[in-house]
Amino acid sequence: MTTLSSKAPSPSSPALLLDEGVDSVTQVIVHPLVFLHVLDHHTRRQEASGRVIGTLLGRRDGKTVEVTSCFAVPHAERGDEVAIGKDFNKQMLALHVRANRKEVLVGWYASAAQGEDGTDTDLIADTSSLIHEFYAGESDEGDPIHLVVDTRLVEDSISVRVFRSTPVMVQGEPMANLFHELRLTLESTEPETLALFQMNTADQAEEKSAEEPLLVSMGKLLQLLETASTYVDSVVEGKVKPDAEIGRKVADTLATVPRIRPEVFDKLFNDSLQDLLMVTYLSNITRTQLSIAEKLNASLGV
Amino acid sequence: MSAALIEPEGRISEVEIEGLALMKIVKHCHDSLPSMVTGSLLGLTQDNGVLEVTHSFPNPDTGKDDDIDEEFQIEMMRMLREVNVDNTCIGWYQSMYLGIYSTTSVLESQFSYQTDMSPNAVVLLYDPIQTAHGNFCMKAFRLTEECLKMKEAAQNSFIKPSNIFEELPVKCTNPGLAKAMMLDWAPKSDITLDRLDLSTHPYLEKHLEFLCGWVDELAGEQQKFQYYTRHLARGSNKTKAGWESSEAPKRMESLLVTNQIRNYCDQMEKFTGGGLGKLFLAGGLHKEERATSAAASGN
Repeated sequence: MTTLSSKAPSPSSPALLLDEGVDSVTQVIVHPLVFLHVLDHHTRRQEASGRVIGTLLGRRDGKTVEVTSCFAVPHAERGDEVAIGKDFNKQMLALHVRANRKEVLVGWYASAAQGEDGTDTDLIADTSSLIHEFYAGESDEGDPIHLVVDTRLVEDSISVRVFRSTPVMVQGEPMANLFHELRLTLESTEPETLALFQMNTADQAEEKSAEEPLLVSMGKLLQLLETASTYVDSVVEGKVKPDAEIGRKVADTLATVPRIRPEVFDKLFNDSLQDLLMVTYLSNITRTQLSIAEKLNASLGV
Repeated sequence: MSAALIEPEGRISEVEIEGLALMKIVKHCHDSLPSMVTGSLLGLTQDNGVLEVTHSFPNPDTGKDDDIDEEFQIEMMRMLREVNVDNTCIGWYQSMYLGIYSTTSVLESQFSYQTDMSPNAVVLLYDPIQTAHGNFCMKAFRLTEECLKMKEAAQNSFIKPSNIFEELPVKCTNPGLAKAMMLDWAPKSDITLDRLDLSTHPYLEKHLEFLCGWVDELAGEQQKFQYYTRHLARGSNKTKAGWESSEAPKRMESLLVTNQIRNYCDQMEKFTGGGLGKLFLAGGLHKEERATSAAASGN
């Protein structure tokens, strides 16, 4: 029977030992609400501070972390020192959990710092390790994720990165933290997508008149059908090389139109038509009735 | 009570809501389906008659009294103050089930907000069910001056139902950074095509069901009036005093119900109009198919 004994690390062991646990996070899903919040917080920051931090809330499913909401935490940084509002964090977390019981602390976010003289700074500052350790203590699993939103505006886009930290061991002693990047996906539920769409078009819709939304949808459908049909025509005439993939997709789409016998379809059509007309008639009657009732009510008791 | 701490401001005419607050409301309402929820709005009034909503937070779901809510609100606002969020509570929001908003509870809450907080307080109503059908539905309401005067005087008089609530246009804005990010992260799936869904039945059925319920309630209110009138006729008091007495049935209830029914009719009509269009569109597609299949079978 052999016994396993822990040996002291030999001098030839590598300095870098990445401690990969079984349950380590590999993927992060974020909702758009979180981004908007981070940007808003960054815009509202105090004059002196370069960046802002806050707590991320969400759910953890084994290897995936889903971040659904967040809140801001006041903090102050000076050189290598960091002060975080710990009590604030605790209180806000308690308040938030009262409104939404399913969320837990999964990590923290930070916006990118602006250098004091306008010098470029990295996305992860030296103080990030300290903040990360604080959050590691607060979260249940001890493995929080770190989200960075690049607000330095040096590139053309506002990029978002998410990191995970592992301690770097040298001879069994943690010397530093290594942040490595994880895969980030932006996911939004259907109503959130609608809200985003609303926001996007709100700016452009100022010039356009308020078109009937249904008209817009139908126009769009017509456009799509026309594009598909011109493509198919040009392939048939030999102008464009046929692509089997697209051909199959077009065939699939056309097949989704259900094949109903004309009589059955007519019956369906007429039934629906009758229903809609009846409802319109009913609502008109009800409205007329209401106006009469109003007039009577107005004269009552006066 | 309502001390004049706030400078008398002009009446606002428009509501601008920031993307952040909007998303938070949407998320909260959808997460809590099928129950209805409320929350508070924070923001600022601007001089040009625009009410800016910059932040919102949900109220915890208790089933109980409002004392806990007050404490929660104050605490939340204090904490948000530390991170430089606008600290003025300028209204509240509520999710509504398929367009129901004209109820006594909404009226009372809005009245207390408009007298205690500011005459410009609004209630934002968001309809998660309609949004699921493809129409993003968020409306801002407040009580009209006429209605306020009547409530303050505690009279039992008549007011035209459509003049109880006043709707304000809602615009969605975004600060610069957010706009920049939105251009990058624009939603991939195009939702304009979701509106072309043909299933009209469940929507209409629900509406008609609710309409029946409301009409029943209206009938009940009318009964109350009838009984009271008969009671007055039998008694000896003068008609005027009879109606002002505290035993008279409250008119506001029936007026609210009337307003709600009218609202429903409007909604249904809008929907059926669209439904007819979609039906003819589907008919058109099938006619084409019939023509081509006839031609194919003919050849």
